Amino acid sequence: MTIWIVAEALSPKSVFTTIEALTPAQTLASQSGSALCGVVLADSEAAGRTVADALAVHGFAQVIVGVSPRLATYQPQVYAAALAKLIESRQPKVVLVAATSTGSDYAPRVAYKTSAGLITQAQNLAWDNGALTATKAGVAESLIMSMHSAAGKTVIVTVRPKTFEAPAANAVAASVEIVNLSLDSVASGTEFVSVTAEAATRIKLEEADVVVSGGRGLQAPENFALVEQLAEALGGAVGATRAVVDAGWRPHSEQVGQTGKTVSPKLYVALGISGAIQHLVGMRTSRTLVAINRDADAPLMKQADVAVVGDALTLVPKLIAKLKG
Amino acid sequence: MAANIVVLMKQVPDNTKLRVDSALTAMPAPGGPSPVDMMMNPFDEYALETALRLKDSWGGDTTVTALSLGHDSVKALLKKAIAAGADAAFIVGETAPLDGFQRATVLAKAVQTLVPDAVLVLGGHSSLDEAGHQTAAMTAEALGWPSLSGVKLAEGDTSSLTVSRVGDGGLEQHRMTLPGVLATIKCDYELRTSNIKGVMKANKTDIPVKSLADIGVTLPSATTTLIQLSPRPAKAAGQVITADGNEDAAIDAVVAYLKAQKFA
Ligand SMILES: Cc1cc2nc3c(=O)[nH]c(=O)nc-3n(C[C@H](O)[C@H](O)[C@H](O)COP(=O)(O)OP(=O)(O)OC[C@H]3O[C@@H](n4cnc5c(N)ncnc54)[C@H](O)[C@@H]3O)c2cc1C
Ligand SMILES: Nc1ncnc2c1ncn2[C@@H]1O[C@H](COP(=O)(O)O)[C@@H](O)[C@H]1O
Repeated sequence: MTIWIVAEALSPKSVFTTIEALTPAQTLASQSGSALCGVVLADSEAAGRTVADALAVHGFAQVIVGVSPRLATYQPQVYAAALAKLIESRQPKVVLVAATSTGSDYAPRVAYKTSAGLITQAQNLAWDNGALTATKAGVAESLIMSMHSAAGKTVIVTVRPKTFEAPAANAVAASVEIVNLSLDSVASGTEFVSVTAEAATRIKLEEADVVVSGGRGLQAPENFALVEQLAEALGGAVGATRAVVDAGWRPHSEQVGQTGKTVSPKLYVALGISGAIQHLVGMRTSRTLVAINRDADAPLMKQADVAVVGDALTLVPKLIAKLKG
Repeated sequence: MAANIVVLMKQVPDNTKLRVDSALTAMPAPGGPSPVDMMMNPFDEYALETALRLKDSWGGDTTVTALSLGHDSVKALLKKAIAAGADAAFIVGETAPLDGFQRATVLAKAVQTLVPDAVLVLGGHSSLDEAGHQTAAMTAEALGWPSLSGVKLAEGDTSSLTVSRVGDGGLEQHRMTLPGVLATIKCDYELRTSNIKGVMKANKTDIPVKSLADIGVTLPSATTTLIQLSPRPAKAAGQVITADGNEDAAIDAVVAYLKAQKFA
């Protein structure tokens, strides 16, 4: 029985998530006596080996690199065909794929192609009589769903970045196997044209350990300077509610919530945010929550580890000054 | 040339009305009887709007067909889609819980039999209830068509589209040959509202309910099963600091907490 963790060489984010996924995968492997293997999809052997090396630093002892020049840009059907070919020839039991924008896009196609089960955005993984079970958030993160995979089938599981803590670095000499994939006959139907990098913020919202978000309680767009300064003082990224994004105070790329981004930082600071369910679902898995709101009864204040009742416009400058100390 | 666009629409529990302690122990079938209010999956509203905008630009005899798999009470939702500008709608009546693989198998077959001239299928990026992130791409695989998810904008003609999707490194542009499938997230444009004419048209439009046999599909066996739905464990009450008149003391307490947690 084998457990795979898949990374795409063109998506550095998938490589981080792959390393994080090693944590639950190691537990699953030791409970079932399974072998653990990293899988890299790359457009060249060199690119694949670079990722394999990064994985080896974290303890991946075995890495399969699937190589094809057709993997140079992201094309869903080509990526799906590449992973499906590897799965079909080796029949792993569990295939973990990073639930990044790329992984989430092609994993369902792979599942359909290989008749494998698919559990997306899994949080807790466990064995149940030889079948994998996983929990995931349902009904906009209000409830927990427990999913059971059919026994005897491969199951593909996607895991969101920052769901698991990466294991400490534990460098090993990995055995790297290069597999040349022949994908010439795979129809694509899509052609990658270009990518416009998101406005170069210091830290990406979804990757930040600290997120400082502001809402309508900040009263005016210019007061978001306070959010930015506090984020800077804490080494974090800036987030916003839909109310202020819709009002044009902040770009959509900063929106946290149901129709924005899902974040899971170690610390979430909410300034003048009421905590509508649509906002909550985007930040509920944050490890600690500090909220400042004039209204002690705002829903988000009830969720906070530290709820400060007061005026954000008075308190935040003091907080920044004190932190800069 | 007549081009047809299919929009996959799913009814989901309205999570604004759902209390954490609500007695939801099974996932309500899309459109089926439920202890909570149901609403259209928010991303599907953008899928519909994207379809209507393409219809506006393609002109001629382009039609937009809404398709929902679930309980037949989903009809009210599909009437709304017609009032907003869709031309036709179908329900595939099946209320058993289906996994993504089964659902894609059925939806692909429904597209092939009910809307054989479809050049584009639009769905939501993910559904609020199951957060599947899969139905659109799996349906595309079942149809053998290309697909892209995380879509914010699609423009072009009936043979190919330029698609903007949110990728890992920023906003990506892709060209997609049709027929194909797109899964939309929240787009930057406003949703249109229905007018009186639309509502009258919706009232007159018959929405057929098809069975799995009608569309000639036999369900494959499930690959995953939902075995339990449970409330998220309640969070322990936190520390409340009232700043009124004691702003400096309040900030000292916050900083002490941040230091203790090693954030400062
Ligand atoms: C389909 C759908 C999808 C949605 N998706 C999202 C989403 O992705 N993300 C999202 O955020 N929202 C989303 N919303 C909107 C959501 O319902 C709320 O309207 C929104 O989150 C409210 O934003 P807010 O907290 O900034 O504003 P408000 O709800 O107006 O809250 C402002 C808060 O600031 C406090 N306040 C006022 N003045 C001060 C002050 N001086 N100091 C301190 N506190 C102060 C007030 O007490 C209040 O609690 C969605 C809604 C729908 C219907
Ligand atoms: N039962 C269904 N009927 C119609 N469309 C559906 C159904 N289930 C899922 N979809 C479509 O697939 C999208 C994503 O759902 P999912 O991937 O299952 O979370 C939804 O936004 C719909 O567009």
